[in-house]
Amino acid sequence: MATTRTASDIALIAHLMRRAGFGATRDQLEALAEMGYDRAVDELLNPSEVRYMPDDLLRRYHMDYSDLRGNLSSSSYWIYRMVTTSAPLEEKIALLWHRIFATGQTKLIQGKVIVTQIDMFRKYGAGSFRELLLQLSRDPAMILWLDNQDNHNGAINENYGREILELFSMGVGNYTEEDIKECSRAFTGWSIANPEYMAIKMRNNTARPFGYIAWQYLYRADDHDNGEKTFLGKTGNFNGEDVIDIICEQPATARFIARHLYHHFVADEPPVPQWPHVEPKDPEAIQLLVDAYFDSDYNIGAMLDVLFRSDFFKAESARFTRVKSPIELVVGTLRLAGGFQQPTYDVYEATLASGYMGQALLNPVSVEGWQGGDEWITTGSVVQRVNYASKIIGDTSRPGVQSIIQRIRNAAADQPLTPAALVDLALELTGPLSPPDETRQGLVDFANAQGDLTPDDPKLGAKISELLQLIVATREYQMA
Amino acid sequence: MTTRIQSTQLRHRITIGFCADIGGRGFHLPNSIALRSDGRIYVMSRSSQVHPLGARIGMTDLKEEFYGEFGSRGTDDGQFIGPTDIAFDSKDRLYLADEQLNRITIYDADGNFISKWGTPGNEPGQISGPSGLAFDSNDTLYITDQWNHRVQKFTPDGNHLGGWGEPGNGPGQFNMPWGITVDNEDNVFIVDWRNDRVQKFSTDGEHLLTFGTHGQDEGRLDRPADVAVAPSGAIYVADWGNQRVQAFDPEGNFLQLLRGEATMTAWGQEYLDANADESQARQSYRPYIDVDAETPDEASARVEPYFWNPIGVETDTEERLYVADAARHRFQVYEPAK
Repeated sequence: MATTRTASDIALIAHLMRRAGFGATRDQLEALAEMGYDRAVDELLNPSEVRYMPDDLLRRYHMDYSDLRGNLSSSSYWIYRMVTTSAPLEEKIALLWHRIFATGQTKLIQGKVIVTQIDMFRKYGAGSFRELLLQLSRDPAMILWLDNQDNHNGAINENYGREILELFSMGVGNYTEEDIKECSRAFTGWSIANPEYMAIKMRNNTARPFGYIAWQYLYRADDHDNGEKTFLGKTGNFNGEDVIDIICEQPATARFIARHLYHHFVADEPPVPQWPHVEPKDPEAIQLLVDAYFDSDYNIGAMLDVLFRSDFFKAESARFTRVKSPIELVVGTLRLAGGFQQPTYDVYEATLASGYMGQALLNPVSVEGWQGGDEWITTGSVVQRVNYASKIIGDTSRPGVQSIIQRIRNAAADQPLTPAALVDLALELTGPLSPPDETRQGLVDFANAQGDLTPDDPKLGAKISELLQLIVATREYQMA
Repeated sequence: MTTRIQSTQLRHRITIGFCADIGGRGFHLPNSIALRSDGRIYVMSRSSQVHPLGARIGMTDLKEEFYGEFGSRGTDDGQFIGPTDIAFDSKDRLYLADEQLNRITIYDADGNFISKWGTPGNEPGQISGPSGLAFDSNDTLYITDQWNHRVQKFTPDGNHLGGWGEPGNGPGQFNMPWGITVDNEDNVFIVDWRNDRVQKFSTDGEHLLTFGTHGQDEGRLDRPADVAVAPSGAIYVADWGNQRVQAFDPEGNFLQLLRGEATMTAWGQEYLDANADESQARQSYRPYIDVDAETPDEASARVEPYFWNPIGVETDTEERLYVADAARHRFQVYEPAK
């Protein structure tokens, strides 16, 4: 087959897949490089087919997925999707909104409603931001997370009214306390069915007598404040939909969302509370995304289209500059090693590992989600990250690991691989990764102790496996 | 000869159960029900890997008396990791299939361990993911051999007697069969899970009937989990993916659809009586809401009386139907309307 791919093409595609997905195997990278960068972006944004481990198989095997009650069940259920999906950007977008619109099981107790919220992020997360905010405001998990069932006509609860402005759309400094009150009034009556019983089951943390009952959005017209409101300089008998319209028109909203997209896909921004006081890392990039927001009628997918094709994203200086989040590391390593072929209890270990590294899925540490960046790295988390990645990549029964071994065996067929050649090839097949000379030399020293590699070496698999375990412990593998 | 059944419809009689995920009176993700000859009801809580104390077999009756429980998660004698089904032989010995350990465990009528057997593999007489158990009138045990896509016959002690089936979707072929039953005339009914159908055979494996096809309309199935046949010949299918139970006549024609209509159980009421705040809040609770969900599963998650993952069905000599309502940790009992 004629090929036009170059090492540079592969490296760029690999960067794209680390950021817009969870990395890719060498076979996948080569196929995408043949396709070309722009078409690869098209396929990520508009997948021609979405395949993943079927629900019926999962639910027959994992009986706890019947009610998705506990955090281990609900979050491992999502991990299956991330590990096995052919549309990884969908999951990265769901993760983006899960971090920004953070709700957690610590308060909500039942995992089912958060899984449903994630489904909503998957469905609306790359579309109109207006529609997404509307769905979010009607999302039962969000309603109970921020107590909007207690937001009544004449007795407002400001939690949701405040957070939709501060955390979900505009950021501090772009509205007044009065705007929060008026916003809250607009969302009175946005509740759920049977709020009293559902709230007390949540508060008492009890699945008795017959398990949890999933919540359903209910608009209570008789509890809505129909009075005139003034919000961000506009006056009218606003309901929640009107408030969302006004929010979406704000330049502050465009900047806020642009900065989040940049932080999630390009490079770490400072913590959100500092945004009012600290300029974006790349103001021109943010402006480009702001323009895309307004040009596309607030469409997130259109913003991402601009982002992934931009020079600031593709630049070599942008690569390997973000610390992989625990989920990115766990899911990416599993995908590299071959994913899940069938339902397996191994998914629970993967889920727990991410939690031990600091990212318990569906249970973020606060309403502000996870900041990420350097905060992912602590003395304890590094040990967890290295141990988990080494264990997975060291399992030579996994098809992805076997594929790497076979490629190296093939390369050694013509002439034995020197330790340096072996290391360089292994780095190619796990990234491609380009560690600094000192790191590379350490790997070569390790390989030197094993001598040249021949294809009929009975210990070939074990030797390669040990080298791969060292490679996933490098700084370069831990970065995206 | 099968007598054509009357058009009698079933009505809900009672709901029994309570969510108990660490053992004790109640169930956790019950998958299977078996009836001892005196009517005592054995309920197998499959539970899950993340609830190590939830798996066991509980004993009760239609008066909601609780007679204790036995079995637990583990690999020792009498324990299990992936229990899928239970069934009594004619001597009231209880058999349990374990799809993880690939073994059959036998208990006496009171739940004491007697013995175990089973060899994993795909050769004749070996099993891979046993998922359903049923006895015929001669105490021959039929096992749906999930990953081998076949059914196998054994003596109660585990001696292989034959079997039939292979992967596929033609008559006599299977795609991950799950539940199984044998009717009073020794016809073998097998739920062909991933083919969304039920197949009927003689005890020698002669194919007699297939009914069901994928879909949500009446008579169609979505990943059926289990089947039971009443003395009258009525066939009940746990239509798991559609979150309902359907009744068919002996020719496989649709008769009735049950969505579940659970009532408060005695054990549940005792809990509410002891928790005044929840009891008070439940006074204003309206279980039947106008559901705006897109799937039957989501509707079941929101409406407590509905079946939520009905996985096991069983019938008794009085034409009663027992439905293991897994995700609600209870079972619902139906009986012929007078």
